[in-house]
Amino acid sequence: MKKVLIVDDSIAVSRQLEKIIAGSGEFEVVGHAKNGAEAIRMHQTLHPDITCMDMNMPVMDGITALRTLVAMNRDVKVVMVTSLGGVGDKFTEALKLGAKNVISKPFEDDKVLAILRGL
Amino acid sequence: MAVKFFGQFLVERNIVSRELLLKAIELQDSVNLKFGEMALSIGMISTKQVERVHEAQKTDDLRFGDMAVKLGIMTDEQMKEVLTRQKNSHLYIGEALVKVGALSADELPRYLDEFKADQAPYMVDHVAIPAGVPHPELWEITADLTFKMFTRIVQLTFRPGQCRIINRIEPNNTIVSMRMSGAADAEYFISVSGGVREMIAKAILKEEDVSGEQEVVLDDTVMEFANVVLGNIAAKAAQIGKDVEIHPPEVVDTDGVGIDVPAGGTGLVFPIHVMDELVALCVIVEK
Repeated sequence: MKKVLIVDDSIAVSRQLEKIIAGSGEFEVVGHAKNGAEAIRMHQTLHPDITCMDMNMPVMDGITALRTLVAMNRDVKVVMVTSLGGVGDKFTEALKLGAKNVISKPFEDDKVLAILRGL
Repeated sequence: MAVKFFGQFLVERNIVSRELLLKAIELQDSVNLKFGEMALSIGMISTKQVERVHEAQKTDDLRFGDMAVKLGIMTDEQMKEVLTRQKNSHLYIGEALVKVGALSADELPRYLDEFKADQAPYMVDHVAIPAGVPHPELWEITADLTFKMFTRIVQLTFRPGQCRIINRIEPNNTIVSMRMSGAADAEYFISVSGGVREMIAKAILKEEDVSGEQEVVLDDTVMEFANVVLGNIAAKAAQIGKDVEIHPPEVVDTDGVGIDVPAGGTGLVFPIHVMDELVALCVIVEK
């Protein structure tokens, strides 16, 4: 079963995503990080197959963490999570920096799972 | 169930790969010249004049063409000619995807139709904004999408009231605020009663019962709801050429005294009438 790390400062979003991802029975949520810095630390110990990362977070934002993770391993599978997914520039910026896809909010369970399955 | 652009819609559905979308966007960037670049390429203005326009734009919020006319560098007719050339040579993302081999020309119309159907719920309906309020089109999008998200995400049944100008935001169980900057400097507020906060929490947490949840979690769900709504508003605003930055949500007016509209600002309320519940969307537009 593929391991997923969820990175979001919102308790509500983390719970919502875990419910969708773990509820499918296809993925295992191995951890929750509250910001980009925590995500990088947890990445090194948990070795998730996929990381779902919020773009806007305190301490270290998702884009900075994405840059770091890609620099450490250019095949890393990071999916950005954002309510700004519909803003073309933000979407394109995330892909250019190495994100594999972008999950827009509000979540649609089947779309979230289709994105994760496609990785 | 979100405002999207066509390329994103295709990548999300694994119809087009991320790599091919980036290639198509690169192609678009090379073909679709900006106004100044187009005017320069047809010899209508010089590099020095382009710099002059850019310099003037730093202190005067005008588009390149309007500024060039204002400075006497171009005539009105020349500006229109450049706009027409830009329009006629514009490469749309769908065409770019066909050119890079991500889609076939035969498939394109079908996917465009599917995309239009997906985005139809987010077409903005008319919301009247009082005369004289700056950036009315932005507040129209803001109100309309907030109403739509209340219906779609929270499944709230309500009747939207007429927008009116206010001097003060009345206290409520939870008021969440988010700052907007860029095309407009403003503060966006969602004000909800306890009952509606519970409905939002159920929808965001996907739980049948939230009675055991802590206050902080319930408030967090309202912040997340505001974040989702405003993110989609920013996406819609970008489609009409208004780039809006949004800042993180916070719970405000925790001592329950209400919020005064600062001097020079314009307060707007879009009442959301729900039986026995107090809900409102408010916006304070800065001077």
